[in-house]
Amino acid sequence: MFLAWNEIKKNKLRFTLIIGVLMLVSYLVFFLSGLATGLASLNREAVDKWDATAIVLNVESDKSLPQSSITTDELNTIKGKETAVLGQLNAIATSGELKQNISLFGINPDEFIMPEVTEGDVFTNENEVIASDTLQDDGFKIGDELALSSTEEKLTIVGFTDSARFNAAPVLYGELSTFQKVKFGEGSEENKDQINGIVIRGDDVESITTSNDDLEVIEAETFIENLPGYTEQSLTLNFMIYFLFAISSVIVAIFLYVLTVQKISMFGVMKAQGISNGYLSRSVVAQTFLLAVIGVVVGFGLTLLTGAFLPSAVPVAFDIPTMIIYGLVLIVVAILGAVFSVLTIVKIDPLKAIGG
Amino acid sequence: MAIIELNKAKKTFGSGHKQVDAMKETDFTAEKGELIAIIGPSGSGKSTFLTIAGGLQSPSSGEIIINDQNLSNMNEKSRSKVRLKEIGFILQASNLVPFLTVDNQMKLLDNVKKDNMTKKELDKLYEDLGISDLRKKYPADLSGGERQRVAIAKALYSKPSIILADEPTASLDSERAYEVMELLKKETKSNDTTTIVVTHDIRLIDYCDKVYKMTDGILKLQEKQESEELKTS
Ligand SMILES: Nc1ncnc2c1ncn2[C@@H]1O[C@H](COP(=O)(O)OP(=O)(O)O)[C@@H](O)[C@H]1O
Ligand SMILES: [Mg+2]
Repeated sequence: MFLAWNEIKKNKLRFTLIIGVLMLVSYLVFFLSGLATGLASLNREAVDKWDATAIVLNVESDKSLPQSSITTDELNTIKGKETAVLGQLNAIATSGELKQNISLFGINPDEFIMPEVTEGDVFTNENEVIASDTLQDDGFKIGDELALSSTEEKLTIVGFTDSARFNAAPVLYGELSTFQKVKFGEGSEENKDQINGIVIRGDDVESITTSNDDLEVIEAETFIENLPGYTEQSLTLNFMIYFLFAISSVIVAIFLYVLTVQKISMFGVMKAQGISNGYLSRSVVAQTFLLAVIGVVVGFGLTLLTGAFLPSAVPVAFDIPTMIIYGLVLIVVAILGAVFSVLTIVKIDPLKAIGG
Repeated sequence: MAIIELNKAKKTFGSGHKQVDAMKETDFTAEKGELIAIIGPSGSGKSTFLTIAGGLQSPSSGEIIINDQNLSNMNEKSRSKVRLKEIGFILQASNLVPFLTVDNQMKLLDNVKKDNMTKKELDKLYEDLGISDLRKKYPADLSGGERQRVAIAKALYSKPSIILADEPTASLDSERAYEVMELLKKETKSNDTTTIVVTHDIRLIDYCDKVYKMTDGILKLQEKQESEELKTS
């Protein structure tokens, strides 16, 4: 640390530049991770809110909730701790000038997927809904009447709830009968046992079974991964993040290597004096560690700062534990970049350096 | 007691047609408190001798014994430890770390080695060398002479048993060169170290107890009167 720190103090500009590069790389990594988290929750936050173990869908639906069609009778074939029925459909909701893709959830208010309202009231009558608070950001208000694309029925917003987006669409929660009226119109009476799936809480997914071969128990995470576009999106972003790790390792390696090569004769003189390879190598690693920590911490702060000023339409969400892990990975990766320099130091011949 | 001993030490570079006997078979001993000069023309093998004596390279044959430790069968790591403990190098070009202040040059040694000079001893050394005012300065802010005196302080700070200096006065004007030799002599005597100075400046040999001459890889002790002749010629 002694050599490392004194060198940084003496060559502030040079090391500020390196820290700057590390900061920008970590900024990019953190921001992409924020984007990945944000885009992921855009798809999954409503499902996460259920805190469910699994969902039972029709086998033929290929793990797609809108495509699945079952009846409430199937509850008898299912073993699981706690169940909640779910009807779901996608539609376009219009209120005056405002227009938005939505996902309508039909539920039983006494079952566990019933959301808590953050504003307004819960639904008590048919055609009343609790809406995702992202609709509030779009300008929808309590009392607004929503016309839906597929039906004559009109829904009224009575309250808002948070974390309520499913596959990128804000969710409207209403009575099962509201959902059936929207979906079947005139025929809603005959179809009052029609739902899309049954959401189940249990100790683990193995403990949840169904005796009906036409049904399939899907673990919550698997269900999310099969949402259209979800896996493709998160893979793309994660790939970018992993590439950035590799790139930052290479950048640090090149920077440190150039610095080390410039100092070969100085290292040689110290080695001639009897200062060990171990001491000099530790000093380079300690220096890298210092630079990386400073760069990552500044990048972290800058990311949060940027996040605070971004318009809400940008889907960034910062998951601090993930960011801490990425920050640590960046530091480790930077230290890996120092390995080349350590090898260079070990190979320096003190005799050449002092040039007899 | 001999603090350093070379027994039939020899150094050959290359092989066959291009073979150079940089140092022919050499026996050499030096005692505590001795200031020894090695003179000789460029390319005669002085640096080769000094680096072998300092454990910076191994001889092709023969052995080196420093303070009872035989370097012949040591690897670079062990030799490095002997260098750290026993030897202070002073080189032609400055061997200071550019980003450390004068004080920190010494502190670096505290980081890697025990039993260096005490604070009081260091103060006295700075005083002797006339660099007390330079403690907080970086090498780049020092003159050539000041830098060389700091290098001497650094070599002495670790209390080595042997100081090896390769043309330490080459970058100095003659007045400064005399001063540096004066200092080396003083420190050698007061700390009872052994100092070997390679130089091609014959006027500096007045300060030394013994003078060796290197010619084509052969090291030969000069009698007093011989060296007087060398000076006047
Ligand atoms: N590493 C080396 N490889 C090959 N030849 C060398 C090497 N080091 C020194 N020599 C040769 O050994 C001889 C003595 O060199 P050196 O000890 O540096 O002389 P001096 O210090 O007296 O000028 C010269 O001929 C030089 O070219
Ligand atoms: Mg030489």
